[in-house]
Amino acid sequence: MITESFVKKMEEIVGKEYVRSSAADLELYSYDASLVGGKPGLVVFPGSTEEVSKVMRAAHQEGIPNVGRGFATNLSGGTIIRFEGLVIVLSRFNQILEIHPESKYAVVQTGVTNLELQEAVAPLGMFYAPDPASQKVATLGGNIGENSGGPRCLKYGVTSNHILGMKTVLADGEIVDIAGPALDPPGYDVRGLLVGSEGCLGVATEIIVRIIPKTESVITMLAIYDDVSNAATSVAEIMRAGIVPLTLEMMDNTIIQAVEKGGPCGYPIDAAAVLIIEVEGISTGLKEQAEQVDKICMEAGCREVRTAKNQDERELLWKGRKGAFGAICNLSPNYLVNDGCVLRSDLPEVLKRVKEISDQYGCPVGNVFHAGDGNLHPLLMFDSRNEKELEQVHKAGWDIMKICAEFGGTISGEHGIGEEKREAMKMVFSGHDLNTQQSVKSAFDPKNLLNPTKIIPLPPEGSDKLPDSPPTVLKRLGGAQAEGVVEAMEAVRAAVAENKSIRIAGKGTFNGLGNQLTKESVVIDSLKMTDFIEYDQDNQFITVGSGVTLSALQDKLGQQNQWLPIRPPFGTTETTIGALVATAEVGPERLAYGAPRDMLLGLQYIDSSGSMVSAGGKVVKNVAGYDMTRLLTGSMGTLGFITEATWRISTRPETSKKLTAAGTMDSCFEAAMKIVNSNLLAALVTIVPEAGQATLQVGFEGLELVVDSQVERCTEVMSGSGLNVVGAEPYPLVEGFLAPAFGSIWEAPFVLQADVVIKHGAEFATQLSQAAAPTGMVLDVAGGRIYAGFDALTGSQWSAIDGLTSKYKGHCKLLKAPEEFAKEHDLFGASRPDWRLSHLIKNALDPDTVFAPGALPGRV
Amino acid sequence: MTVSSNYDAIAQCNKCGFCHVACPIFRATGHESGVARGRLALLRGIIEERVEWNEEMEDPLFTCLGCGACTTNCFGSVPTADLVLNARAEYFEKVGKKPAHRLLFEHLLPYPKRLHLAARTAALGKNSGASKLANALGLLRIFGRDLPKAEGIVEKLPMVSFRGTIKPETYEGQGSDLKIGYFVGCGVDVIQVEAGKATFESLKKIGKSVTVLNNCCCGLPPWSYGDIDNTMVLAEKNLKTFAEADVDVIVTDCSSCASFLKEYKKVFSDDPQKLELIEQTRSKIRDVVEFLYTSQFGGDEDKQQEVMDSYHDAHAGTEAVQQVMPKDGKAVVTYHDPCHAVRGQGIKSESREILKSLANVEFREMAEADWCCGGAGSYALTHYDLSQKVLDRKIGNLKKTEADILVTSCPACMIQLAWGIRKHGLKTRVFHISEMTAYKEKVDA
Repeated sequence: MITESFVKKMEEIVGKEYVRSSAADLELYSYDASLVGGKPGLVVFPGSTEEVSKVMRAAHQEGIPNVGRGFATNLSGGTIIRFEGLVIVLSRFNQILEIHPESKYAVVQTGVTNLELQEAVAPLGMFYAPDPASQKVATLGGNIGENSGGPRCLKYGVTSNHILGMKTVLADGEIVDIAGPALDPPGYDVRGLLVGSEGCLGVATEIIVRIIPKTESVITMLAIYDDVSNAATSVAEIMRAGIVPLTLEMMDNTIIQAVEKGGPCGYPIDAAAVLIIEVEGISTGLKEQAEQVDKICMEAGCREVRTAKNQDERELLWKGRKGAFGAICNLSPNYLVNDGCVLRSDLPEVLKRVKEISDQYGCPVGNVFHAGDGNLHPLLMFDSRNEKELEQVHKAGWDIMKICAEFGGTISGEHGIGEEKREAMKMVFSGHDLNTQQSVKSAFDPKNLLNPTKIIPLPPEGSDKLPDSPPTVLKRLGGAQAEGVVEAMEAVRAAVAENKSIRIAGKGTFNGLGNQLTKESVVIDSLKMTDFIEYDQDNQFITVGSGVTLSALQDKLGQQNQWLPIRPPFGTTETTIGALVATAEVGPERLAYGAPRDMLLGLQYIDSSGSMVSAGGKVVKNVAGYDMTRLLTGSMGTLGFITEATWRISTRPETSKKLTAAGTMDSCFEAAMKIVNSNLLAALVTIVPEAGQATLQVGFEGLELVVDSQVERCTEVMSGSGLNVVGAEPYPLVEGFLAPAFGSIWEAPFVLQADVVIKHGAEFATQLSQAAAPTGMVLDVAGGRIYAGFDALTGSQWSAIDGLTSKYKGHCKLLKAPEEFAKEHDLFGASRPDWRLSHLIKNALDPDTVFAPGALPGRV
Repeated sequence: MTVSSNYDAIAQCNKCGFCHVACPIFRATGHESGVARGRLALLRGIIEERVEWNEEMEDPLFTCLGCGACTTNCFGSVPTADLVLNARAEYFEKVGKKPAHRLLFEHLLPYPKRLHLAARTAALGKNSGASKLANALGLLRIFGRDLPKAEGIVEKLPMVSFRGTIKPETYEGQGSDLKIGYFVGCGVDVIQVEAGKATFESLKKIGKSVTVLNNCCCGLPPWSYGDIDNTMVLAEKNLKTFAEADVDVIVTDCSSCASFLKEYKKVFSDDPQKLELIEQTRSKIRDVVEFLYTSQFGGDEDKQQEVMDSYHDAHAGTEAVQQVMPKDGKAVVTYHDPCHAVRGQGIKSESREILKSLANVEFREMAEADWCCGGAGSYALTHYDLSQKVLDRKIGNLKKTEADILVTSCPACMIQLAWGIRKHGLKTRVFHISEMTAYKEKVDA
């Protein structure tokens, strides 16, 4: 209940003019772009993180529900406060604080719109990959809250892939800096959990985003169809061919009509459907790619493929596409939009079913969507002033979500669950899955004040838990039926019954990772979990048991010319999938392909009660619920026993070649930075320093034509920096070329992995050599990551190294250390404030510390 | 027209929020009350009886600049400015009108002479620094709460109005056949007198005769405030003046006036007799920008070339402009689109074409040239703080062009822009497009 004294307190904190409570003001903050309406009690406009903190602390003390919001373009009611609560508007957080093109990150306040960020970094030759259609108006705070997608995420992945860290205010008003500009900080992937948490876990005021050098060329094509299913077929065929377009968007005739009615954007109004297809890359080979796309479309029954002749034509097409939701008002006052995601190959059938539902309920439908991702946006049209229509449209929307779940997809790909889809969560998650997610929420927000009633279905009256029923629609393969899982569940339960803790193992290749366990533990291994549960070559995903080795997986995929583009630096042929997920290790090829956190679509695990929990799914975009997949990725066996993982996989590049050059460390680094910050699109850029000399190696993976051109241009850059260019040679794709360097590092008793801000990579490497004496080093320039081996390391050297990483805004961990050392030291260095959150989560999901006690950074 | 009768148009907004990006006020405040989506939501709230008519509605209704940028950016082209305007009328009816508005709309604007007198009083007060007197008696006082802060906006007021110098009658021109009527807007008449003189000179070069009309205010100020009754009084007076004048075209050098004169049928939408009269005069109305363009550039190619040559041989501008021009080389010139020109009348390329044709001009486009400057008629005087935020953005864009001269075609914009330039300490000078084209005879010939 908002009292007068609370209002007064708010006025003291933010100033009188920034507190609004008139009936008109409350009406203005009662809606977003969805159909959900709310009833706020008070609206405040804080101007600093400290003010947000004070506001939230006061709300926490008085038990007042609150929600942070930007410009409320949310499509699922996520920014609506249903009951008399507090709306915290972040519109004053409109500053871009820092841009570091050379280190590829920017620090922005959360009230900055996506487009404002794009416009700020564009003059520096950079861009921020996520580009939701609402980017003109949607704030970055909203983007991270929803884990937004957008057309370009087909190639670059969703928002979460591009968020490095954030400043967040927690429910009780505590301000915490989570992660930072350097990659993959120790502890759980809390930023991954927070992205997509729809404002239920905290209110972010600043975020650190990754920015990328602008690509050299882009070709925009408009493929015109007389038949929707031919368009859908083209989508599947293009992806099957191993082309990764920048965007692959579909609009049907209804949408074309709506858009063109609002002003001509260049769409033929008689087309049944169009695809907007863009390919991008270096200029060489791009035209050939476009021609290949053209050919595939024509073979699939396309009427015509047009190419945008200039930037104006391109922008006009995108203006139409990105304004399509708004344009619906040319046909009907309101729309309800679903954003379920299905497998691409199911699109023709699913679209048919959507049409049937639209007919059944009498709500006309238009489809405009991210076809390459299988991410539907059926816009159901109606007039909200007509109650019957409103009722019908909600039923239709519900049925569409059901169809998506029935086809093995998910109920939301990018718009979030919010208020609108909350009950539909039961379609895809079991009661236990949802209770698990709710316990994460409760760990962050025990009083349930942050954006309450969102995401998780409400438990039945008189209970605080949902009944443990299976998902009402989605049928998941694997799970407890997969090979070896039941035995593991029993083993977990048995250990718990005997009050023993558990260490999870694969083949033992990564057992050293994490702090030394503080309690004798039973080892339970995944070796029996060797099922290939589902492999869908066309839709490019594979689900495998965690006992499958990475090399077995690569062999299997290799038969279909596909692969999982990860080369864990210290992995062996024995490394299991379970270990890969648990450690989230990835090599310098991360530059081109991302990390396990970006490639894992879903997983299942046995929790500390011995029950199965499912996270994610098998579609490429999935924002249903908290991102438990990312939370478990890299959790080092401390949260549960991962039994299976679903990966997004890729077509193997035609060729892979490395270019080697030698010179001083400084000139190698200078050339490397030029390459990293150019639009050459290297797959990996590494430096191996040796006594007084250094070797720069740059890998290129792709079409032969393109790779050769890249090698040529890269040679020029290297020579320009005064390096002695040794030459180019092919290397085996799956193994890469760094195995010898990594192998030699691994021989040392101490192995360090440190991450710093990219531009300080060489400086850090030099200082590291002075702080201790590495036996060998590999510098992953583009990742700002240094691997080093040491024969000996004293406690003071270790703290010096840790201090060095802090100096360069990074962090470090010892992947390997002798037992005596591990007994005495935290292998992740001195404690960081945000580690507290990892422990909070650990306590919520494993309250009795069943799994790997003491392994987490900041050991208790 | 009541808010309820606009229900369909209001309900067309599906809250996509794309208007956020286009609205200068929202960009300045970040508050939902200052953007089309919010204003429409409140109107819908009123119709659906969730929101009441009271003073809380003043800001959402009256902070709208009426610039129309939201409509341009809206896929449904929801005419928010018009809908808000209708609502203002109802606001006055239900909540009440400020006496100050009444004084201006009912007692000054319909009568050019009274307006001249008021302006002169204000000028005396202002130019002598006796601002209290100006406040107490003058024109500026009328505008309300933010006035004390806003007083600095108008730098100085001419002592004699345009029509005080050039009386409303018919003058002989150098042209061969066209009879031109010159509609003198209030802003030009009492403040931008130099622009008026330049326009007058230009018109004389083109027309066989130029009649300076004895028109009164076009009616836009009361219309913007939702005061339909007073708008009708003004429009009727002007229609009568137009009907009596023996002219082929009616040209005005105020884009706001031009835009509104072309829209008189909105004012009398349910009076068929008036509509017929409006239809007759409608086709005669010209914004000076389009008039200069079509009469000088829009003719046959030979004539066009001739005009172009005459421009190229000459140095552009009135004496005041000449003083700003560099002795050798070109002046960098940029253009600000008045809302009433670019969105009100669809005039955009013409002004650039004219400026680019001038021999001693290097034209440089300004970012967001078609964004409102925040002047919006008397908006700057009534909502000072907000209008300054909008202005600061505009001046920021101007600064990036490094222009010597900023040209536009609306007196209210000129006042606002000149104020912004002074405030930010720039050296750029503001001129009306007429002042640029009123060229001297061939200098070097």
